Amino acid sequence: MSEVIVVTSGKGGVGKTTSTANIGAGLARLNKKVVLVDTDIGLRNLDVVMGLENRIIYNLVDVIEGNCRVKQALIRDRHYPGLYLLPSAQTRDKSAVTPEQMIKLTDTLKQSFDYILLDCPAGIEQGFRNAVAPADRAIVVTTPEVSAIRDADRIIGLLESSGLRSIDLVINRIRMDMVKRGEMMSVEDVLDILTVNLIGAVPDEESVVIAANHGEPVLGSDSQAGAAYLNIARRIMGETVPLLHLQEHTSLFHRIADLLVRK
Amino acid sequence: MNRYGKKSFLTSREIAKTRAELTVSADRLDCNPDLLTQMRRDVAEVLAKYINTEEDNLEIRLSFLCRWKRGISDVKTIQIK
Repeated sequence: MSEVIVVTSGKGGVGKTTSTANIGAGLARLNKKVVLVDTDIGLRNLDVVMGLENRIIYNLVDVIEGNCRVKQALIRDRHYPGLYLLPSAQTRDKSAVTPEQMIKLTDTLKQSFDYILLDCPAGIEQGFRNAVAPADRAIVVTTPEVSAIRDADRIIGLLESSGLRSIDLVINRIRMDMVKRGEMMSVEDVLDILTVNLIGAVPDEESVVIAANHGEPVLGSDSQAGAAYLNIARRIMGETVPLLHLQEHTSLFHRIADLLVRK
Repeated sequence: MNRYGKKSFLTSREIAKTRAELTVSADRLDCNPDLLTQMRRDVAEVLAKYINTEEDNLEIRLSFLCRWKRGISDVKTIQIK
């Protein structure tokens, strides 16, 4: 049975799109058929993160307005044959789509895919309502910063009030060296405040930026972030996977800096 | 003492956590974070009349029935450690 998952955060810039792309890649790697839908009409980015920006012919609004069939707008990923993207429209605004139309669209997609991941725009306006309407469950992405946590709490409240009961949290951009120095909130600190189920913690790594620069998922690289996203995909599928033991930066520079700080 | 009612030698991690807790609680109650700080101090003062303890040893935490309903009627418990 297929599942519709909205990836949201409230605050912009916390890694929703990167998380959507990598969780989708993780599910596809685990042999699931996955479609990622960019619901950020007017500010699309998922195509760029996935390196598919040059292959867009039709978009979400074209499908909704009946200018093309769903299959014509879907773009197959270059790395994972089971992974597809339904890109957003760049020259329209959020009012081009209604929540009812999104429900109809996902009902169609459910016939062909195991997982439908909706990359939600920042904010709590029309774009958020469009993305949440068809969702069976939600993944809220936050970073260990006060502003992101505050917005995540507001979003979780809105999701609960909309009747969504399956809400999981991804804590992104954790830096264990800063946590250990007492300069960043830990995973436990964030969970104390938000009291929601944790589905994964992703370390802040250069590999994520480099992968995005290349338009590739970080999943295939030999990185903790890639392993964290793959574990999130496994947990979505219902597997019990222990949390990664996140390691500190161990470069010579960081070790010297750490020694100097301690002295 | 700083504005969060804690001693100023707290790490930035602890300051961030205190700020996040206060902000989230204030949002849920729809009130100013300073009001919550004052509320905690008042509760601590009342407790100090009956229990021989210092304010720094008290942890006062509000928990909520649910996130989305707002107002003091949604406060489930005031937990004191």
